[in-house]
Amino acid sequence: MTCTEAREQLTAYLDGELEGERGSAVRGHLRACEACRQAATDEAALRDGLRVLPPVDPPASLWAGVQARLAQAEVADAERPAWRRALARWWLARPQLGLGALALAAIVLVIAWRVRHREAPLQQVASPLLLPLPLQAPAPAPASIDVSDELAAAAARETASYAATVVELSADAEHERAYWSDDHKQQFDTHVAELKKQIAAATDGRPRQKAYRALIRYLQRAATRDDVALAGSVH
Amino acid sequence: MTETAVVDSLPSPVLAEPRPRVPAVLADDAQLIAACRRGEARAMEMLYHQYKRRVFGMAHRIVGPNDAEEVAQEVFVRVYRGLAAFRGDSALSTWIYRLTVNAALSYLARRARRQEIAVDDAMPDVPAPPVAERDPGLAARIETALGQLPAGYRAILVLHDVEGLSHEECAAILECRVGTCKSQLHKARARMRELLAPIGVAP
Repeated sequence: MTCTEAREQLTAYLDGELEGERGSAVRGHLRACEACRQAATDEAALRDGLRVLPPVDPPASLWAGVQARLAQAEVADAERPAWRRALARWWLARPQLGLGALALAAIVLVIAWRVRHREAPLQQVASPLLLPLPLQAPAPAPASIDVSDELAAAAARETASYAATVVELSADAEHERAYWSDDHKQQFDTHVAELKKQIAAATDGRPRQKAYRALIRYLQRAATRDDVALAGSVH
Repeated sequence: MTETAVVDSLPSPVLAEPRPRVPAVLADDAQLIAACRRGEARAMEMLYHQYKRRVFGMAHRIVGPNDAEEVAQEVFVRVYRGLAAFRGDSALSTWIYRLTVNAALSYLARRARRQEIAVDDAMPDVPAPPVAERDPGLAARIETALGQLPAGYRAILVLHDVEGLSHEECAAILECRVGTCKSQLHKARARMRELLAPIGVAP
């Protein structure tokens, strides 16, 4: 056995984890090698020293501090809107619901895939090459009905409701803010400013709604995550 | 202002206690957990007393004496608040020690990021306790050297050598393989010997 091999097994040997021949080989090497014997003596002294380090008693104020912080968290719970508490409960039950959500997503995907594949042959049939007669062009819609205005109005209503949600969630996040660290506050502000910039830069309609949804998701996370609410610190 | 000071300003009404539905003696972890989930003060205090020394001791040796109380507070708050989500995949003790190590290590990371505290201050200034018979100063030197170790090594030394947990328990707490745990311990002890070498670790 070389010194390198012996040193690699020294910790296991000293902790009594090497049995039979493996232990005896290390022991044999230690008998013959002065340097490794010294290393073993040092490590054993260290191990023993660590084992007998005196326990450190927690200060009497610790329990009071814990109770105070729990009380603070409970007050924060009570101030949280009901839908947020429900969301937090859902979040706790995540493992089971997560599986359910996955199964649901798989079913939706399968259905979507089948529907697409069912539509494909229909499109082929509709191809002019396969039809004996040219198709009649559809009659133009009467000029009096302008659908684009209604669509634009619907999109504007949807955007407005997104904006209202953002206002509501921002207020909730403000409540939570009291429990965040300075780092976290800064990170939050920067991110929200960036997302709002993206909303302003997005064109009307779907792109803007998409940008709103990104901000809403971020605010929901910021306002509901328990670890953020507790200490604003530990991840 | 500290967290405690913030709460001190809140009114502290006498809260109605949940009525215990369990016998006077909480036989096992499952009963203790159930009672804590219901918010029974007696069970919560029992759990605290059961784990306070180890939680505080680990925090003390990983983050140093100045910040140990804050970390330990955070751990217990996370324990009580997290019990609802505790599924019992591991033993209660393993889960609590994992929370402790994680809270201590992330506290160190935050402290390093903020650079509020110089590296030298991270070394705990511990008075020499009268323990080691052969070398009265050894314990103090070991505490000092512990404070100079990289945080990961400190964690494994505290769990395995100081707290006397098995490799299997350490691996479960640190969420790594048993083999990784053993090799980390080996490297940690080697680093400790280097740190102690100038003054001699052997009696």
